[in-house]
Amino acid sequence: MRLGLVIDLDVCVGCHACAVACKEWNASGTTGPLSDYQPYGAEPSGVWFNRIRHYEVGEYPDSKTVNFPMSCMHCEDADCVTVCPTGASYKRTGDGIVLVDQNRCMGCNYCAWACPYGARELDRSSGTMKKCTLCVDRIYDQALPVEERQPACVLTCPAHARMFGDLDDPQSAVSMAVRERGGYQLLPELGYNPTNHYLPPRKHKPIPTGEVVYGAWAKVKKLVNRVVKR
Amino acid sequence: MNAQVKVENHARQEIRYSTCYMCACRCGIKVTLEQGKVRFIQGTRNHPTNQGVLCAKGSAGIMKQYSLAKLSQPLIRKPGSERGDGEFEVISWEQALDMLAERLQEIRATDPSKLAFFTGRDQMQALTGLWAQQFGTPNWSAHGGFCSVNMAVAGLYSIGFSFWEFGAPDWDYAKYFVLWGVAEDHSSNPIKIGLEKLKRGGGKFVSVNPVRTGYSAIADEWVPIKPGMDGLFALSIVHVLLTRELFDYEFLARYTNAPWLVIDRPGHSSHGLFLRDEGGSPLIWDMERETFANGMGGDIAPAMFGEYVAPDGTKVKTVFSLAVERYLDERYAPAHVAAACGVPAETIERLALEMAHVALKEAVELPIEWTDVWGHKHDKVIGRPVAMYAMRGISAHSNGFHACRAIHLIQMLLGALDGPGNFRARAPYPKPIPPHQLPENNPDIINAANTALSRPPLGFPTRPEDLVVDEFGNPLRIDKAYSWEAPFSAHGLMHMVITNATNHDPYAIDTLILFMANMAWNSSMNTKNIQDMLREKDPEEPGQHKIPFLVVVDAFHSEMVNFADLVLPDTTYLERHDCISLLDRPISEPDAAADAIRYPLVEAGRDVRPWQEILVELASRLKFPAFTNADGTRKFKNYPDFIINYQRSPGVGFLAGWRGKNGESSLYGEPNPKQWEKYIENQSFFAHHWPDGQKYMRYVNRGYLEEAAKAGFVGKVEPIIMQVYSEPMQKFRLAGQGLYAGPQPKDPADRERLSKYFDPLPMWYEPLEQQRVNGEEYPFFALTQRPMFMYHSWDSQNVWLRQIMAQNYLYMNAGRAASMGIEDYDWVWVESHNGRIRCQVKTMEGTQEDTVWTWNAIGKQKGAWGLKPDASEAAKGFLLNHLISELLPEKQGERRITNSDPVSGQAAWFDLRVKIYKAAEGESGSWPQFAEVRRLPTDRAARPDVLRYDARTQEKH
Amino acid sequence: MHPAFSVIFFTVASGTGFGLFVLLYMADLFRLGGGLPAHASALTGLLAVALVGGGLLSSTFHLANPKNAWRAFTRWRTSWLAREGVFAVAFFPFALAYIALAWFDAARDVRLMLGFFACVLAWATLFSTGMIYACLKTIRQWNTPLVPAAYLVLGHFSGAMLLLVVTLAVGASSTAYESLVMALLLAAAVLKATYYFWVGRPYGSTINTATGFTRARVRLLDTGHTHDTFLTREFGFRVGSAQRFWLKAAFFLFAVAVPAAMLTQGQALSLGAGLGAAVSAILGMGVERWLFFAEARHVVNLFHGAQRT
Ligand SMILES: Nc1nc2c(c(=O)[nH]1)N[C@H]1C(S)=C(S)[C@@H](COP(=O)(O)OP(=O)(O)OC[C@H]3O[C@@H](n4cnc5c(=O)[nH]c(N)nc54)[C@H](O)[C@@H]3O)O[C@H]1N2
Ligand SMILES: Nc1nc2c(c(=O)[nH]1)N[C@H]1C(S)=C(S)[C@@H](COP(=O)(O)OP(=O)(O)OC[C@H]3O[C@@H](n4cnc5c(=O)[nH]c(N)nc54)[C@H](O)[C@@H]3O)O[C@H]1N2
Ligand code: SF4
Ligand code: SF4
Ligand code: SF4
Ligand code: SF4
Ligand code: SF4
Ligand SMILES: [Mo]
Repeated sequence: MRLGLVIDLDVCVGCHACAVACKEWNASGTTGPLSDYQPYGAEPSGVWFNRIRHYEVGEYPDSKTVNFPMSCMHCEDADCVTVCPTGASYKRTGDGIVLVDQNRCMGCNYCAWACPYGARELDRSSGTMKKCTLCVDRIYDQALPVEERQPACVLTCPAHARMFGDLDDPQSAVSMAVRERGGYQLLPELGYNPTNHYLPPRKHKPIPTGEVVYGAWAKVKKLVNRVVKR
Repeated sequence: MNAQVKVENHARQEIRYSTCYMCACRCGIKVTLEQGKVRFIQGTRNHPTNQGVLCAKGSAGIMKQYSLAKLSQPLIRKPGSERGDGEFEVISWEQALDMLAERLQEIRATDPSKLAFFTGRDQMQALTGLWAQQFGTPNWSAHGGFCSVNMAVAGLYSIGFSFWEFGAPDWDYAKYFVLWGVAEDHSSNPIKIGLEKLKRGGGKFVSVNPVRTGYSAIADEWVPIKPGMDGLFALSIVHVLLTRELFDYEFLARYTNAPWLVIDRPGHSSHGLFLRDEGGSPLIWDMERETFANGMGGDIAPAMFGEYVAPDGTKVKTVFSLAVERYLDERYAPAHVAAACGVPAETIERLALEMAHVALKEAVELPIEWTDVWGHKHDKVIGRPVAMYAMRGISAHSNGFHACRAIHLIQMLLGALDGPGNFRARAPYPKPIPPHQLPENNPDIINAANTALSRPPLGFPTRPEDLVVDEFGNPLRIDKAYSWEAPFSAHGLMHMVITNATNHDPYAIDTLILFMANMAWNSSMNTKNIQDMLREKDPEEPGQHKIPFLVVVDAFHSEMVNFADLVLPDTTYLERHDCISLLDRPISEPDAAADAIRYPLVEAGRDVRPWQEILVELASRLKFPAFTNADGTRKFKNYPDFIINYQRSPGVGFLAGWRGKNGESSLYGEPNPKQWEKYIENQSFFAHHWPDGQKYMRYVNRGYLEEAAKAGFVGKVEPIIMQVYSEPMQKFRLAGQGLYAGPQPKDPADRERLSKYFDPLPMWYEPLEQQRVNGEEYPFFALTQRPMFMYHSWDSQNVWLRQIMAQNYLYMNAGRAASMGIEDYDWVWVESHNGRIRCQVKTMEGTQEDTVWTWNAIGKQKGAWGLKPDASEAAKGFLLNHLISELLPEKQGERRITNSDPVSGQAAWFDLRVKIYKAAEGESGSWPQFAEVRRLPTDRAARPDVLRYDARTQEKH
Repeated sequence: MHPAFSVIFFTVASGTGFGLFVLLYMADLFRLGGGLPAHASALTGLLAVALVGGGLLSSTFHLANPKNAWRAFTRWRTSWLAREGVFAVAFFPFALAYIALAWFDAARDVRLMLGFFACVLAWATLFSTGMIYACLKTIRQWNTPLVPAAYLVLGHFSGAMLLLVVTLAVGASSTAYESLVMALLLAAAVLKATYYFWVGRPYGSTINTATGFTRARVRLLDTGHTHDTFLTREFGFRVGSAQRFWLKAAFFLFAVAVPAAMLTQGQALSLGAGLGAAVSAILGMGVERWLFFAEARHVVNLFHGAQRT
């Protein structure tokens, strides 16, 4: 199994719902709490596992705004795990989820350096590295109804721009979406082979507007009465 | 390596269902509590509104619940302290209520209009409105005059339902979707759910918006229109549709007043009114019988075009002939409007043709049987799958009413209303056009002591006689709603209340109650002046303020609280009973009528009380008729009791679900003493799913209309014919022209405005403020947008949400900024005719070149909202509101007139024009800055530097 | 990358320490310049060990959760950081034993054997330190064999400088040591020049490959947070290109030109001049190390708007 997320950039409206739901779930989840610094002060910041960035592609008036959520990609070749000296970072063999054992981490930041995707966050209060857990404490929780055994961010996404599933299974919805929509990985050249994929914005087919060329109607048609009964 | 996964211990958890309050979308929430602490808030899976999803604000509800800005005890302004200095003393609820009840009693017994009660985006207008009516004051409204009244009124005077909360796109079948000027709106989650559905199905999404963020980001086509030009743009589309004869002839003939006959007698009091029979029914020309016939009746074959002569010799013309004459004119041709709109002519024409293609060539046909009001059976429903939605980009301009009508005109031409795939009504809509409800306007009743109004304070005027003015034409309402200045102001003009009350224009009031509105800050135009007005003393009555007594009902320490004489602290949404009623702003979806409740899930743990309880308490103490038994005892024990037992008309109450003694009936039925329990059992919401035969064409769908009549949605079963041409508008225009056979305005300014802007057909004019400021001096349009993850001012206290945005910037088109030598993060001065501010710039591609904009309500007053005084929101964030005036620029010889739509009174937030120049070297930080808001005496909580929220009561790491 | 003082101090100090130790051992092995007096040799060894130890200690200051630092030895099979720790710790017993024998000038064979092991461990540690950076694909400025090479050479160079000072202090013949310094100095200069040339090339990932939008200009509109985050604090550090230029110049001036000038002035090197050269070299090395971090641009910056790294 290779569990991960597929994010559809065609429909992500950049609402930050996934980021907040993630924070909410994980604040009291297995690696919680997630510290907030200066929560009432000048420059509030804190630990988040999922961040939404916003880009502009192309130039006005043909520019496109792209909302871009990023969390841990649960890479196949996860250097964040390889470099970790304590073994706190590990990749689960059964499902490929990359986790940090809070009881082993010494807070050296090295794994964060090794991560190209900015997926790791040091919690200054606990001194430990934290990251997206793929909501491992939800997806395997047999006490939850089946349809809720999904990451918090996926459940909440109002635009259904986030899909969760097994990217090893060619028949899974996520694999099919990647195939059909040309799903891609970020920074493929670095060779991390991230599990999470992104679906690019779709191109809409032109809508037929008839043979009429702009401004070419000869004369206004004479509008005439027709018999329409009601 | 596969460590055992630790999952939650659910033994100490419980799950409750309620309704979100972080915005007025009102999604269902599933709240997991761990030993009374909020562990997790999710969307309710079966809820008709959000179908399981939740937005950022909803998820961050936890941090609202545990906010340090929560009020905790009633407060009174410290005797001897100045209003606005924020010095308070704690008083008990008993003292506070006695004092308030006494004051209100006195007002009610002398001059009930001296009470003004205005509410923010509350979700209980049915109750607050009833309360005001029972008190006997006309001076009530909610915030609708800020946001949406242009949309509501344009819709309700045109199609019987409207954008905003009375209708929604049919995402299941739509193939083409046009979004006009929307950043988020109250249909927050439904729009997001819908856009994905539409795009997944291959539909095209077009966004008309000067800014490309949020929804517009994922649009297949972005139309960066110049602000305020949508009406012109829409009418140009109408022009293209008409020139190509691309419209749904049958729809227009059957369901709109396009064939109705309009009297053509220039200079006469009947000019422009409908030709009617003796019974008052509008007439059409029947082509088969070659005679005049009832335009509301069945079995007619109406002529769409032509001029006819009535038996009495009156010349008449069909509505559609008038429309075609107007819109075929070259001034609406794409080539003529392109420059003004900032949209290439080719684009306008192509978009019109695309819409027409999808509507007419790709129609959806569903094999659904239904019967129309005239008794004809149909074996299918045809849907024109072009859906539209519009909100404040249209609404918040002073030409928004007409712009919105112009959009409805496109929909009518395409036959794209309440059918599969287009814009559909949400129960209790559609209603007759306009709804049969007039505002109370009898001065004798309004002025009578201890007397309830005979009708609600708000309604829908159809003619000058319905205005709420005295015999001299002076406004009877403090906000001048329903005066000549804004005849169709069906949501009031809340933005004028403080200004008018301070100026004693039209009269002085005694007490102003503000519930849930931050009028001292982000919901006022001209914020600094408004704060000064709140402080202003009355020279005639030494020691007394111009607004003598100000009651603020808030749950948090907002800027408004700082100005209160009496602060009544409210509960939060997880702490109280609430009812989201069909009598109010409905949460229905096109396929289901729906309502919902909240009930206390967590202990308040503070000395706070729900405002609803206070209203019921005051109503009982003051013995309002509807709240008092014949023997003078109080009728309702408390708010939950009121909700169950109050009936507006027999069988119709606040909650529509599980009515009847045993909860056996839906929509109507006797009160059910166990109704709250039923809702709680059923995840706190009720949805009545319409059977297929009642889902579409509801304006003429007999099955639906019969149900609607029983539920009190409509008075009786009668066709609702859409109004391409608005006769009520024409009546006001006649009044302006001095031709109306009834009341007429005296002030030439009013006469001019009525003659110009009460055009019975949709029109476009330059926004009013822009008519008066020099566009060359102030070259930019200035706007705001709502961030998806913040609700006005009240989310900056949210420690999670403010990490996403703690400062707003002024966004500019990158190319344009470069040409002015302005770069990212430069501090600039932004100046309007009303004042200037300093703020910081960010440049971007996706902004129309003549437009600048910022995120709304991020800027804060120092010290408010439980934040430390150095919070970025206060030091660097800013409000555009300082630049916006609530009054139009002065004109020689004219009284000051509200900066609002002349038809609906809608606040014209987005008409603003500004100039921009770089701040001098070393000038930084936002300006103006205000005195720091003092801490409340009840607020002793530390502001920790690190917060580590954890709902778990065991198994911590 | 944010140049943390503790890490700069650590790499410079322990690099110098290891270099010093290794050269001390070489001097012992080859009786360079006739060999150093036993006590001087042992004290120098202690200095080297102290530098290594101090550096290591300072490196733990940057751990957020030092109570788990002991676990850092467990993943030596995969992690260069763990390897560095293992080698560094293993170095101490050998080095100390060697020093003890050196003090008593005893058991030369055993001593040389122990010293050899210590040297191998020192090299391994230096190499590992280099590899800690060089193995990161996320930072192209580090992801090159030039990095461990530079760590090795610079460590030896600064170590050699110190050793030279020691020989001058004890009045031993310094010519061999001077040549050693000059050779290492040249190697360091060539290596760093090569590195700076290599680093200046535009190459690698771009904002386009990061976002997948490869056909148009991509601009960051918003990071999604108004204020700094862990990522901007950890990775957002930038130096301007002018500053970069001057820092490089400073490196060559202090670490290369000044020592070279002093060594080649034609007269016998005084202790003062030697000390000056060493201080200058170590200062230059500090600058080099600061720049090494400051100039490194982590790919995550692409997501924060950098067009390339
Ligand atoms: N997250 C969140 N949701 C909210 C609120 C909130 O504060 N936060 N507030 C709620 C309230 S009270 C309201 S009233 C609704 C309002 O919801 P919206 O109608 O979405 O209101 P705005 O955010 O003002 O967005 C107006 C949009 O119109 C565009 N615009 C401005 N002028 C023009 C124009 O002339 N033509 C066109 N075509 N576009 C234009 C702006 O760029 C902007 O995108 O949202 C509600 N929902
Ligand atoms: N520049 C600019 N200004 C605008 C707009 C714009 O687009 N641009 N939009 C306008 C529009 S459409 C609107 S609707 C207004 C909105 O502006 P406001 O109505 O002022 O909205 P909020 O800032 O959310 O403030 C509402 C108040 O309700 C309080 N509150 C929150 N929860 C509760 C509760 O449970 N009980 C009680 N009693 N109080 C509570 C909050 O603390 C706050 O003081 O802003 C308007 N102002
Ligand atoms: S919740 Fe969905 S739409 Fe919103 S930012 Fe996240 S992925 Fe995008
Ligand atoms: S995204 Fe980063 S943290 Fe996650 S597995 Fe890949 S390298 Fe590791
Ligand atoms: S910070 Fe923790 S998880 Fe990351 S490398 Fe260091 S010890 Fe491992
Ligand atoms: S999978 Fe879970 S932990 Fe990861 S981003 Fe989503 S909500 Fe956060
Ligand atoms: S849209 Fe968001 S804030 Fe509004 S009610 Fe729904 S979940 Fe709550
Ligand atoms: Mo609003």
